[in-house]
Amino acid sequence: METGMERWLLVGATVVVVLSGALGMQAVRSGHRSRWTMVLMTLAFLMQLGVLGIRGDLRGQCPLGDFGEILIFLAWSLVLFYLVVGSAYRISLLGLFTAPVVAVFQVVALAPGLLEATPERVAVVDPWREAHAAFSVLSYGAFALAAVAGLMFLVLNRQLKDHNLGTGLFRNMPPVPALLESVVRLTWLGVIILAVGLACGFLMKESASGPKLLAGVITWALYFVIMVVHAWRGMTPRRFSMGIMGVFVSSLLVFAFV
Amino acid sequence: MEILCLGLNHHTAPVELRERFAVPEGRLGEEAGRLLELPGVNEAVVLSTCNRTEYYAAVDDRHEGREQLREFLQSHAGRRLRAEHLYERERAEAARHLCRVVSGLDSMVLGETEVFGQVKRSYQAALERGATARTLNRLFQKAFGIGKKVRTMTGIQEGQTSVGSVAVDLAEKIFGHLRDSRVMVIGAGEMSRTTAQSLLSRGAHSIFVTNRSIERAEELAHELDGEAVRFDDWQRVLQEVDVVISSTGAPHAVVDREHVEAVRRMRRYRPLFFIDIAVPRDVDPAVGEIEEVYLYDIDTLQGLAAQAKDRREDQVRVCDRIIDEELAKSGLFHPEGNDESAGRDAGPELKGGEAAS
Repeated sequence: METGMERWLLVGATVVVVLSGALGMQAVRSGHRSRWTMVLMTLAFLMQLGVLGIRGDLRGQCPLGDFGEILIFLAWSLVLFYLVVGSAYRISLLGLFTAPVVAVFQVVALAPGLLEATPERVAVVDPWREAHAAFSVLSYGAFALAAVAGLMFLVLNRQLKDHNLGTGLFRNMPPVPALLESVVRLTWLGVIILAVGLACGFLMKESASGPKLLAGVITWALYFVIMVVHAWRGMTPRRFSMGIMGVFVSSLLVFAFV
Repeated sequence: MEILCLGLNHHTAPVELRERFAVPEGRLGEEAGRLLELPGVNEAVVLSTCNRTEYYAAVDDRHEGREQLREFLQSHAGRRLRAEHLYERERAEAARHLCRVVSGLDSMVLGETEVFGQVKRSYQAALERGATARTLNRLFQKAFGIGKKVRTMTGIQEGQTSVGSVAVDLAEKIFGHLRDSRVMVIGAGEMSRTTAQSLLSRGAHSIFVTNRSIERAEELAHELDGEAVRFDDWQRVLQEVDVVISSTGAPHAVVDREHVEAVRRMRRYRPLFFIDIAVPRDVDPAVGEIEEVYLYDIDTLQGLAAQAKDRREDQVRVCDRIIDEELAKSGLFHPEGNDESAGRDAGPELKGGEAAS
């Protein structure tokens, strides 16, 4: 495979995602749903898959060897969950909110130095380490989309509270229960996947301790507590959504510096 | 070949008259075939819905064709038919009218979609009967294409223009399908009744009615197939419901913040939608400050209804523009045809005497 091919594919995927967001925005302004969101996001998903495939080939392992790859994997898992949830819940507008997050992840991944030009091919693969990294990042895709759905709820809630119902955005918003249910399901999905990822982390050949794993455990615990409180005694939808978004953003910040 | 449309609809004729012209769906093709027996009529489609009966024809000469169609319609009426009951459209105006009908712009409920299928079935019946050829085939195919485009590109179907409908639309936006929603009506007034009926018609499955006079509550509950609740017991029901419609004649607030705060935990902080259509207001505005509560009073709902009406009027203009542009692009009509006077009520020719039945 020609060196740098994956960068062009990533640029292509980013352009497609930005286009999807722009068309979605234009459609919403005129009070309609974009017919292209799902198609373009699927195209972006395939291009991301191509990038990850090339990087995996170069490394001889799951492509999570540098920060750039982690961001691409995260963007890919976000789009993956969007394609599953967006079509299952008929929440095409979720794509409009997801596109900017995916674009930001990919643009950052394209920054010089974040994606190693010639990644070192590993000699020995530890399957537990591979599984730990893959499941952990995949869970963040679910958490990211849960945060996006939570943000959508907050926007809808504000519009309903302010009686600001004349916008195309409001008319295309899914109902409150659909949004909240997608937040709940995506977060539970993330909690389960991250639990598997953490379990794999403890089975790695090298030391299972370390700040990243600790941050992962704390993140998992915070999500778990929110979900148990929500299921057991109930929470206002606004607090629940803010909690889910808050844990996601703060854990991303922690991982960026740990 | 000239295109003509003659008909009557809910704008021009009362239901007693419209029903005389109604053609059962199974006889639409046969009726179109009968039109072909008229001299100079080469193609025909008959459209019949609960709001309109319209005859579309491709004729050799439009003056003669119009006379033939009028006589045909008059023979249908079985009584004297007044001029203002009928309308006539010719050439481009007939095409434009058909496109407006297909798009739901001429319907009683603006933007309704059912008429699209009804026109399709009418055309299909005429096609199968062999009553259409090149002219009407092209016209109807084009009209269907334009109808689809209008619905795709505009929000003509969206937005309600009455207070009750706006409230019900909002309830659907908040709760999605209303089939799992429970409703409490405080006060057994007319507005409460119509709003509750609208909610029921959209799927709400459980209605509680409370009123100071339990007899009135029981009466309305019976009508709505719901359950009457004593007025001193409505707070208990508050923990179960999703929507509260309040319209009492009380001079002060009936629902205070404390009432809602008391049941939040038991409701597990589920969203609660208050529709306060009473003047003076029944629900203390402080209730709307509670996180999971959405409070809409009569002024807000009326404002939203007015906004929706304005939006719809804008959308109608957009739809008309699309229709005009698409018809101009279609090349169905040649520029030499002066269509300025092509659309008219049947008046000029029928005035001075009522058409004999």
